[in-house]
Amino acid sequence: MEFFIQQLINGITLGGVYALIALGYTMVYGIIQLINFAHGEFFAAGGYMGVILISYLSAQGLHPYACLAISLVLAMGYCALLAMAVEQLAYKPLRQASRLAALLSALGMSIFLQNGLMLTQGVYDKAYPTEITSGGLSWGLVSVSYMQMFIVALTAGLLLGLNLLVFKTRIGRAMRATAQDKVMSALVGINSNRIIAITFAIGAALAAAAGIMVGLYYGSVNYSMGFVPGIKAFAAAVLGGIGNITGALVGGLIIGMVEVFAAGYVSGEYKDVFAFVILIAVLYFKPTGIMGENVDDTRV
Amino acid sequence: MKRLLVLVVALALLGLVLGGCGGKEEKKAENILKIGTLSPLTGPYAADGNDIRQGAEIAVEVFKAQGGIPGYSDIQVFPQDSACDPKQAVAAANKLINDKVSAVVGAYCSSSTIPASETLAEEKIIMLTPASTNPQVTERGLPYMFRTCGRDDHQGPAAVKFMTDVAGVKKIFIVDDKTTYSQGLADGVESAARAAGIEVLDHDHVNQGDKDYSAVLTKVKAAGPDLLYISLQNSATGALMVIQAKRMGIDAILMGQDAVYHPQLMEIAKGDAEGMFLTFGAIDKNATAFKDFQAKWKEKTGKEPGAYSAYSFDSATAYLNAVKAAGTTDPAKVREQLMKLKFTGASKDISYDEKGDSGSNYTVYQVKDGAFVPYWNSLTGQKY
Repeated sequence: MEFFIQQLINGITLGGVYALIALGYTMVYGIIQLINFAHGEFFAAGGYMGVILISYLSAQGLHPYACLAISLVLAMGYCALLAMAVEQLAYKPLRQASRLAALLSALGMSIFLQNGLMLTQGVYDKAYPTEITSGGLSWGLVSVSYMQMFIVALTAGLLLGLNLLVFKTRIGRAMRATAQDKVMSALVGINSNRIIAITFAIGAALAAAAGIMVGLYYGSVNYSMGFVPGIKAFAAAVLGGIGNITGALVGGLIIGMVEVFAAGYVSGEYKDVFAFVILIAVLYFKPTGIMGENVDDTRV
Repeated sequence: MKRLLVLVVALALLGLVLGGCGGKEEKKAENILKIGTLSPLTGPYAADGNDIRQGAEIAVEVFKAQGGIPGYSDIQVFPQDSACDPKQAVAAANKLINDKVSAVVGAYCSSSTIPASETLAEEKIIMLTPASTNPQVTERGLPYMFRTCGRDDHQGPAAVKFMTDVAGVKKIFIVDDKTTYSQGLADGVESAARAAGIEVLDHDHVNQGDKDYSAVLTKVKAAGPDLLYISLQNSATGALMVIQAKRMGIDAILMGQDAVYHPQLMEIAKGDAEGMFLTFGAIDKNATAFKDFQAKWKEKTGKEPGAYSAYSFDSATAYLNAVKAAGTTDPAKVREQLMKLKFTGASKDISYDEKGDSGSNYTVYQVKDGAFVPYWNSLTGQKY
């Protein structure tokens, strides 16, 4: 039982990270039906920005938690700007072109950003100052680190904030309107280009938060770190129903749990197999994902 | 018809131009000695891979400063990226064949070295691996394959001997990440441990590219081994596993192998790596050969040498010495000289046997105050 509870905690932590990344995929898909393959790179860039800022700020003698909070906000802001620049440069000119062209542009952007990170930050892993978040609670076999609690709390907080933004604000209403019908929403005075840029920015900011949490939790970041979690998060978004915010959360948690339980009860080498078998099975019976991709209320 | 004619003429012209260039290069290449390096310059293993490239480059620099090789105007290094991917390693080997190199230092991952060496063997190009420890590398009867590091069928038993004789452990848990090297070594440790009467609680696998090992480590904690043997392909992932193991409160002895042995381990895991044991070839860090090399390395890179820096340096030096003695790059003659060669390298005393191996001298190191400190010698069975 203790073993089960511990694996459950592991699964929720991992799932939370996947969910945060998956949100970016899902929001962008919801609004312009583009699978933004460069999204995993925003996650990596956020992780790097975090380590650079945290190291710089703690060298100035700031309190560790203050460092963390400021770095989190700044890195999220940086990635939001980065995503808007990428959108402006690589996707906006292709808005009227075929979807395949935009998809290829996204793949190219992913390779460009990943190699850019490699050339500017080097090929070696960059270590995070893990002292900030060491320690935790434990009962027998079960242990929860403060970092795990932090990840779950921050994920929950960001999701709540996102929900409020999408459903309670003018910008959110404009996003939903643009997602439903770009032409019609433009006719009633919504600047769809601006809304699309904001959507990219929000998704990337969430990925940046995930990048910092992964860096802190696991201890290091490297330039290729966006690839594998990017694929998993994309799978999570599809599993939950791409274009659906709640779906991204559900999908992320399911992929995280399945991986952890497969590794815990079967063998670590099969965990990805199980995760993707579940994905295929769900898509076979419910091609639109668990929550469905066309629920207009929740779709951004 | 006209179009066809134009095409033929164009192709002929192009052929002339290329042929002309090729001819010129040929002439110039006559007295330039070209050495290729093959190692992962990108991807997760880039840290060790770049050490290998730089090791060979520094060896060439030192050799040139000492007067070079009579009859050769220059020695050049052609680095290629193998990315620790068998397909890319073969493509890179072909690229080096096109570059007309006479020898290759590399590769890093055994899973790259083995296929790349088959390609290079067809052209009789000498390959000296500084880092691939899988036994198969030199067990295939390839005459031009040499190995400057040790072998895993010595490393595994050395680790197990340490477990029984020094650490006195009864139950172990093994984790690997499924590469030719890491799983091969882990399997070797498992069978040697069983033979030595150690109980192997479980042998689990993780995937390359993973960052999260919590599920497997929870299993380890529940099993309660005396020692956790970590056989991963990379020191950075090794560090992540060490951090997570400590955070989870696993109090078993942690033991790693030569791929985890890299200064990166302490840079990332910091205090969590303290007390961990690792097997690696014995390098006498007080010997003059190593100190000279270390000074040169620091001057060039501004860092301490990595795990395989010295082995790569020695591999290239061995080849250059053999070419100098043979007076030619003819592979058969250079091989003859390599077999005769005996010299004190930066890593160890080097002489190659009939298979191309240079012997293993595995030592158990312990991480102490952020450095690898020699702890126990597997050849003498003595503590340092």
